[in-house]
Amino acid sequence: MDGTLGLLGGIHGGADGGGGGDGGGVPSCGSILTNSKEDDTMNDQDMLAEVSSSYPVDDDLELGLGLRIGGGGSNAIQEGSRILRPNSCSSSSSSSSVNITNSSIAGFKKSAIDSVSPPNAASVVGWPPIRRAHRMPILANRIKSERKEYSSRAKSYLSVKVNMDGTLIGRKVDLNAHNSYETLARTLENMFYGRQTIGRSRLLSGTSEFVLTYEDKDGDCMLVGDVPWQMFVSSVKRLRILRSPKSRNCI
Amino acid sequence: MDPDLTKPWALPEEFLKRTFALINSDKDRNSASLVCKDWYNAERFSRRHVSIRNCYSVSPEIVAARFPGIRSVTLKGKPRFSDFNLVPEDWGADVQSWLSVFAAAYPFLEELRLKRMAVSDESLEYLAMNFHGFKALSLLSCDGFSTIGLEAINGIDDLGGDWLSYVPENLTSLEVLNFAALDSEVSFDALESLVSRCKSLRVLKVNRKISLDQLRRLIELAPKLTELGTGSFAEDLVSSSVTELESAFSKCRDLHTLSGFWDVTLLYLPVIFPVCGNLTFLNLSYATLGAIELECILTRCKSLRRLWVLDTVGDEGLEMVGSCCPLLEELRVFPADPFNQELGVTESGFLSVSNGCPNLHYVLYFCQRMTNAAVATVAQNCPNFTHFRLCIMSPGEPDYLTNEPMDEAFGAIVKTCPNLRRLSVSGRLTDLAFEYIGNHAKNLETFSVAFAGTSDLGMEYVMRGCPKLRRVEIRDCPFGDNALLSGLAQYESMRSLWMSACNVTTDGCKKLADEMPRLNVEVIKDDGGEDGSADKVYIYRTVAGPRTDAPPFVVTL
Repeated sequence: MDGTLGLLGGIHGGADGGGGGDGGGVPSCGSILTNSKEDDTMNDQDMLAEVSSSYPVDDDLELGLGLRIGGGGSNAIQEGSRILRPNSCSSSSSSSSVNITNSSIAGFKKSAIDSVSPPNAASVVGWPPIRRAHRMPILANRIKSERKEYSSRAKSYLSVKVNMDGTLIGRKVDLNAHNSYETLARTLENMFYGRQTIGRSRLLSGTSEFVLTYEDKDGDCMLVGDVPWQMFVSSVKRLRILRSPKSRNCI
Repeated sequence: MDPDLTKPWALPEEFLKRTFALINSDKDRNSASLVCKDWYNAERFSRRHVSIRNCYSVSPEIVAARFPGIRSVTLKGKPRFSDFNLVPEDWGADVQSWLSVFAAAYPFLEELRLKRMAVSDESLEYLAMNFHGFKALSLLSCDGFSTIGLEAINGIDDLGGDWLSYVPENLTSLEVLNFAALDSEVSFDALESLVSRCKSLRVLKVNRKISLDQLRRLIELAPKLTELGTGSFAEDLVSSSVTELESAFSKCRDLHTLSGFWDVTLLYLPVIFPVCGNLTFLNLSYATLGAIELECILTRCKSLRRLWVLDTVGDEGLEMVGSCCPLLEELRVFPADPFNQELGVTESGFLSVSNGCPNLHYVLYFCQRMTNAAVATVAQNCPNFTHFRLCIMSPGEPDYLTNEPMDEAFGAIVKTCPNLRRLSVSGRLTDLAFEYIGNHAKNLETFSVAFAGTSDLGMEYVMRGCPKLRRVEIRDCPFGDNALLSGLAQYESMRSLWMSACNVTTDGCKKLADEMPRLNVEVIKDDGGEDGSADKVYIYRTVAGPRTDAPPFVVTL
């Protein structure tokens, strides 16, 4: 419900909100500011969850609870996609984070669908209706290439080269066929030693004369086993089995 | 006081007083206040919280006169389209006039929640000086103030971003700390000290300036958190720290809401895995994740009810949502790059989600293209929609497969979902779509439409057919004066109507204003507009009469 306070009959009541307990229901704790860029469509429950107040609020409340103490924040900020308008009354705070052509039209009158073609999304003020918080200056290419990379990985197998010190001929292993370091190490042992150790792989445990390393995205030589498996899979470029511990030259 | 014997139904005043003190629901209070004068008085004296969803619908004096015992106020100002730059600066909604009245009427006011209000530094200082028991201020989408103003609340004159240091040392009862939207650096020492001494802290949402390592230290101090907003993930942690961070997360057994995630990559995502199983709300709308990363998380989030993501996850990502989150009730998909037509999500992702999540009742979906068939199937899969907001980002875009208007899509929604309260439409729409809405969406309360419709009939269907309308927002549609006037019977029971870039004229608005004296019919004049045309119209019911603070470009007819 909204603002009229029902002095007129026939209008749905007046103000909303509940009356909490009389007097004593004053919250003794404070709640700290949400000078929030929350999307205005923030769900009621989400807002309610932030409220630590003894004043129950009705379901339509879209606000969060906020801070009283010193707050801070620079420019707290009108939400809104700061699209430049040619007729803008004020020039001060507009800053555009979006490519908008200067031929922005404040509106577009349609008389009939077929006779007029709709405007280009990029040239219309306030469209699409997104607040600044969700517009991100993302390079489209970066996303595209990352997506391609990830989707190609997802599809079939992820095979990387494996070279062992002292062995001329390298091998290839499919990392997607494994989900842990243990199984990978065993496979490698099988490949290069022709046998498997009982118990924990010697390559991983450091009891072998060899150590298992990998070259990551940055070209650095890293010890296998430090990071979670998924993290490893996403950054590994090739594997090397090196003589330890003196082998420091990796490439 | 003895019951009045001439009114056999009269109840003792004390009885009324105590009973009304227990009533929390606004609807109940409103109804009760209409029964008789005694009940009206009992209600108004016992009310502690009031929500004014349109600050111009009533004056602060009227509020203060009717409700003398208010401790908490919610106040909303500008029309929602001001978020999208359609309302000029200095339009109004200044909170100061309210504060001046409240200072006299409610010196013990404790909570103030403002949304889309203009709040100046001076107002914040005024607040600090006049309300000594003040406890909680919430500002959503407000503008006009700066750090100086906020610090005044606590009586500090100093500038600087370390506002946290000014929080009193003896404050130990904090439960909610949310500064996710503040841009400034904060003093980490002060923050750490605050978190460590407030044992009741349940909600902590930090801003992007807080690093992963700092976050770890905070979480270790507050393992009982129920809601956490992370800072930035852009950091090179040594592997031991990663383990410690993951371990810190694993101790947070009560955590059900996660947000933040700026700059997150696959590298550090696994640290949250220990808490995924308990999550009910995950807000990833600041994280440019792809499908694989999303899958990594979602396979572990079996209890998820609400999910917000960026469309960088693509249709593949939404497939993951459908298959991993059967309990999902709300999904919001935001566009990372709205003007790039090659990216984003399509009808396929929407279908996948609806197939896997039958409990879905709230959706906000930004996409480049859609089909009628897909939406119809979504409606069949999820008949419980209460909020359906579909934004096809090219204005007036038809069904991309059949090239037909999107009428049938929204028709399917309103026919299949009887509980629909909020609807935002997009794409190419003829009057038929509106006819469907008017005929079927009988519970519709909030309606937003842009670049749609063929004639006045469209708007007329909705205004005549939907009895529970509260807020209607229309832009760039061919609706003229007849359409505007067709809603005559509705406007007094609605909160507001916004129409911009339609075919409405000042004459039509004047006619409406003459017929309905209890409405404010305001025209916002744009420079360069044609004479006679009313480019932006904002109409709302009010008991406060025309605005006394209207800027020159707002004309009340």
